[in-house]
Amino acid sequence: MKAGPSLEEIRRHNLGTLLRHVHISGSLSRAVLTDRMGLNRSTILGLVSELASAGLVREELPRDTGRAGRPSLVVRPESDQAYVLAFDVGVDRLIAARIGLGGAFLDRRETPLPPGHRSAAEVTEALAGFARQMVGAAREGSVCVGVGAAVRGTVRRLDGMVRAAPYVDWLDEEFGEDLTRRLGLGVPVTVENEASLGALAEHLRGAGAGCQDLVYLHGDIGIGGGIISGGHLLGGDAGYGGEVGHMVVNPRGGRRCGCGGRGCLEAEAGERALLEAAGLGPSATGREAVRAVVEAADRGDAGARGALHDIGDWLGIGVANLVNLLNPRTVLFGGTLREVFLGSAAQIRSRINTHALTPTREHLRLRVGALGDDAVLIGAAELAFSQLLVGPLEALARHAAVAGP
Amino acid sequence: MTATATPIVQLRGIDKSFGPVQVLHDVSFDIRPGEVTALVGDNGAGKSTLVKCIGGIHPIDGGAYLFEDEQVHVHSPRDAAALGVEIVYQDLALCDNLDIVQNMFLGREKRRGLVLDDATMEEMAAKTLDGLSVRTVTSIRQQVASLSGGQRQTVAIAKAVLWNSKVVILDEPTAALGVAQTAQVLELVRRLADNGIAVVLISHNMNDVFAVSDRIAALYLGRMAAQVKASDVTYSQVVELITSGRSGDLGLATANGVTL
Ligand SMILES: Nc1ncnc2c1ncn2[C@@H]1O[C@H](COP(=O)(O)OP(=O)(O)OP(=O)(O)O)[C@@H](O)[C@H]1O
Ligand SMILES: [Mg+2]
Ligand SMILES: [Zn+2]
Repeated sequence: MKAGPSLEEIRRHNLGTLLRHVHISGSLSRAVLTDRMGLNRSTILGLVSELASAGLVREELPRDTGRAGRPSLVVRPESDQAYVLAFDVGVDRLIAARIGLGGAFLDRRETPLPPGHRSAAEVTEALAGFARQMVGAAREGSVCVGVGAAVRGTVRRLDGMVRAAPYVDWLDEEFGEDLTRRLGLGVPVTVENEASLGALAEHLRGAGAGCQDLVYLHGDIGIGGGIISGGHLLGGDAGYGGEVGHMVVNPRGGRRCGCGGRGCLEAEAGERALLEAAGLGPSATGREAVRAVVEAADRGDAGARGALHDIGDWLGIGVANLVNLLNPRTVLFGGTLREVFLGSAAQIRSRINTHALTPTREHLRLRVGALGDDAVLIGAAELAFSQLLVGPLEALARHAAVAGP
Repeated sequence: MTATATPIVQLRGIDKSFGPVQVLHDVSFDIRPGEVTALVGDNGAGKSTLVKCIGGIHPIDGGAYLFEDEQVHVHSPRDAAALGVEIVYQDLALCDNLDIVQNMFLGREKRRGLVLDDATMEEMAAKTLDGLSVRTVTSIRQQVASLSGGQRQTVAIAKAVLWNSKVVILDEPTAALGVAQTAQVLELVRRLADNGIAVVLISHNMNDVFAVSDRIAALYLGRMAAQVKASDVTYSQVVELITSGRSGDLGLATANGVTL
């Protein structure tokens, strides 16, 4: 039998919760914090001053004071004290960012990635180089409290092993552990699937803010998916779940998929399928090509319209399945699927309305992502911040000790 | 947003004629807070006429206009504005030779004594655009003439928001826009509704309609064929409602709907 939480545990929990509110909202008055956390004012005051003396928050006058009345102080995150590193191993580039508490991008670097096979060692090396530069440029005394990395593939949650990442041609790469070792920051790298991170970012800071049940669909070279259910990112047994792009929608005579299967959603509704349906050859790839199809359809081009019609149909079938399974409040379309959604919403909606059960779809909202191309990077940063937001003072002390002289 | 929000505007049995020509016949129409209601119909179906009746530009001949459950009499755009109803027309009511701030405050300028309070107006305009996450406008002191179509729509919508409108009606806001600008305007439309405003969107583009609307109202030859939830109909049903006034169980009782 477990005893109730100790006072120390309660305090740590409250510090973490308060810091999370400020981290996500940017600035909040003590009154709002009191309200949101259901604690009394003196407790909030104590928590705020403890976080302030650790340098994690500061209190100041709000920037745009209304005309009337005495403005009350707001609590703001201190972006310069605790930061994380976020990496995105993209289809055509590597991106790295240093992101401060509160979500501010403090530094950002990227390098193009030529198509085809890239060894995990090469990628690790390049990311470590970025990390060195960015950490070197950080204010002295500021602390790296976490590192998150996004890959387009299936990732074992336990240790960040990348089981398969077809677009860089990786199989069973110990990416998380190698990158942790190579960085030498004393901070374990958390690796996640890119669309899962997009889902997390949109859930915390974007079009899904406040929504506890959402499905995020991310289009780039393939179709990735991230599922938030009851406020939690679904991963399944080992973290491989949420592979929405490989949901089978047309296995008999469907198109070949990059996974080796046939008729996966990605094969029927992904970038390749759209561009081929629009009559474009294999040289047309990427966001600009997708945009060009949507624009041609808007100008009345029959081929482009037909292509979007077909792709919208398949997407709608895929979403209808997800809606029946998960009853999400919101389905978000990000990456190139933003354009595809806006260009084929009539088909997508019609399929959902035809195939999803009335109760599962009646409050469903279809939205486009609000964070644009940064969603994945923001999600990686949020993942990296999670330790700090569980026990702020402990995390800070632990990492400051590692980084210290 | 709850799907069961009670309507803020309820029109019941609206008739409207221009001389001998009856353009609206017994039209009922609900507009709900927190929702985008798409108003669709063929050219000449009466969409613009209906919203001009709501906006006080055309007097109605018969029927009831309820605002927040009270019957109201709206005889001028001023009456509509007083209720918090703003209409953004396609041929925008923005003045080319004025800048963004001047347009947003046109006729409702803030003064400090006798002089214009530019600082306050700038601050309010900037805050409104900011609150709508409008990032495409570089300077709020830019002349409206120099703005793109999408930016003009954005400013017109922001103007409606600045005046704390409860109902914002947009008559074909994306008709003249390219794909990227349409996307921005649609996102703005969606954000207005998600912030609790009752939004009406008139559009001929079914992708735009299905992308952002919660309900779809179809006018056919001046009659309301159906007002349905966007989660209950298909594209082809809406097209049938537009072109023939009915689709299966939906729509007007008699084909062609011309029983008089
Ligand atoms: N001021 C007016 N005087 C006379 N007839 C008018 C007037 N305004 C509109 N009408 C007529 O009323 C009918 C409905 O016009 P309205 O502009 O409301 O259509 P609409 O549905 O907005 O069409 P569109 O999609 O082309 O904009 C048309 O037959 C039109 O000619
Ligand atoms: Mg019209
Ligand atoms: Zn597959």
